[in-house]
Amino acid sequence: LPCAQGTHPLSPLSFPLTVTSEQIEHLHRRFKQLSRDQLTIRKENFDSIPDLEFNPIRGKIVHAFFDKRNLRQESDGLADEINFEDFLTIMSYFRPIEMNMDEEQLDRFRKEKLKFLFHMYDSDHDGKITLQEYRNVVEELLSGNPHLEKESARSIADGAMMEAASICVGQMGPDQVYEGITFEDFLKMWQGIDIETKMHVRFLNMETIAHCY
Amino acid sequence: MFLLLPFDSLVVNLLGISITVLFTLLLVFIIVPAIFGVSFGIRKVYMKTLLKIFQWATLRIERGAKEKNHPLYKPYVNGIIAKDPTSLEEEIKEIRRSGSGKALDTPEFELSDIFYFCRKGIETIMDDEVTKRFSAEELESWNLLSRTNYNFQYISLRLTVLWGLGVLIRYCFLLPLRIALAFTGISLLVTGTTVVGYLPNGRCKEFLSKHVHLMCYRICVRALTAIITYHDRENRPRNGGICVANHTSPIDVIILASDGYYAMVGQIHGGLMGVIQRAMVKACPHVWFERSEVKDRHLVAKRLTEHVQDKSKLPILIFPEGTCINNTSVMMFKKGSFEIGATVYPVAIKYDPQFGDAFWNSSKYGMVTYLLRMMTSWAIVCSVWYLPPMTRQPEEDAVQFANRVKSAIARQGGLVDLLWDGGLKREKVKDTFKEEQQKLYSKMIVGNHEDRSRS
Repeated sequence: LPCAQGTHPLSPLSFPLTVTSEQIEHLHRRFKQLSRDQLTIRKENFDSIPDLEFNPIRGKIVHAFFDKRNLRQESDGLADEINFEDFLTIMSYFRPIEMNMDEEQLDRFRKEKLKFLFHMYDSDHDGKITLQEYRNVVEELLSGNPHLEKESARSIADGAMMEAASICVGQMGPDQVYEGITFEDFLKMWQGIDIETKMHVRFLNMETIAHCY
Repeated sequence: MFLLLPFDSLVVNLLGISITVLFTLLLVFIIVPAIFGVSFGIRKVYMKTLLKIFQWATLRIERGAKEKNHPLYKPYVNGIIAKDPTSLEEEIKEIRRSGSGKALDTPEFELSDIFYFCRKGIETIMDDEVTKRFSAEELESWNLLSRTNYNFQYISLRLTVLWGLGVLIRYCFLLPLRIALAFTGISLLVTGTTVVGYLPNGRCKEFLSKHVHLMCYRICVRALTAIITYHDRENRPRNGGICVANHTSPIDVIILASDGYYAMVGQIHGGLMGVIQRAMVKACPHVWFERSEVKDRHLVAKRLTEHVQDKSKLPILIFPEGTCINNTSVMMFKKGSFEIGATVYPVAIKYDPQFGDAFWNSSKYGMVTYLLRMMTSWAIVCSVWYLPPMTRQPEEDAVQFANRVKSAIARQGGLVDLLWDGGLKREKVKDTFKEEQQKLYSKMIVGNHEDRSRS
């Protein structure tokens, strides 16, 4: 396997990884392509992916790679650069379900993926999705439409937030202020959507030659 | 006083004789045929021998790997992840249905909507279509060049010896030979065209100019050991037309110009290129632009139109992709050359990657490094197809015409016809494309929202 200088990038990782070594090899090549043969990637390196420009939440996706909460680091905030191990960590949020998972593992798996999405919304890292943060996401998603006024986007976001509040807290009194969607509330809203079967990227089968004879 | 031992003089004599012999051989077997446009067929024999050796080498690797029980990695050309072909609307509908049970026509934004874009984003980060086109096409058999082999570690002793021999031949025999030829070719071009330039305009000058150009390009072709097969030569471009081809490397120019007499279009460079360009334009009217003029599209179009309308002038050679692509696909053609209104003669060029990768990755290698790589490959084998001429139909605009030509070229050369802009290699996606995806999504949400609020 091609190695970066210094420590081998595949030294013991702190989480169970069930991608095959071929898939790691491919991801490593992709990493080297993105990082231009450096050991780490910075935000600017994602600019070299033309397809990504299409995506309205490009900023949030790139941001997610550097979000320390996703990188399972103890501290909070944003990293400046990530190495291959971190890259794999983020990719692991998108690994598919395995057949032999039991209930508890499945539940943990699902929570991990939802936490990733939660962090995308919660940009100030305070553990709650406030109205303003919700508005930001909606505006970004709808930002490509030049005919859409800011007011419309806002009202859509507000409507959606009210909906979310009613699901999470039930009927609110006129004086009650809904502070924001916590992670537990977030989980409630995703009930019934089996995200764990949808939120993954499947590798195609790598072909190997020698064993076919 | 300089004492020459008898041994020394013997060595000097031998050296002198071998150099003379080498040059005579060079002259007889390479340069003279180039001048007259004939071929001894040496290169074809060379190519066949090489193919046999490559097949043997690949078999050895596979056998060796099997013995040691290592799996061999076949480089994967179609991408590494399975992308779902479902569209934006389908996916979001599906997610919403499985969630809160709301249909798409109640237009509120849903928390889960973000999910589709998130996954698409991660997919493109893992593996994207466009960037793949820009790295060298990955091979299936080994051509004894270590730069193309991922399984290099699994070689037996015999194979290593063969590879070493290959290196020796390529670097110590072929490379100096090729450099000598290239040098001869270029200097002949410069002096020849300058001399012809002094002649008065007329048929004699034209005749001589054509043959000087052709001769020098043929020498350059041999300097790269390019083995070219031309198909459909009756469709070759005529005066007053524009010849359009897909672009893989600067060598494309040499390949096409050694079989036809073209007027080149381009920017004036400094240095050696500039000297060559200035000499060439003395003998026949090429269209060179100053760097400042290149940006002015109207000026460029005007000069090209003037050139094309003069029927006595040569067909123009243009590469509309604007940059080098890795020869597995054809990217978007820039519409400028298609607006001029002349007859377009499309040409498809396809390189055989088995012998040497001709793609110039300009962000990875500079020109000199690239040329050195070319000259230390085994050979450059390619096919050139001359397609029948096309003209712009009254109901199509320049862009549609350009796309039609592009499809014809892609189909003939067996290349994938892509809508992407070749300029993406260096620049970022134009904002108009970015808007499309966002517009689609917002239309879904907002369009219905407005309807509802109105009713």
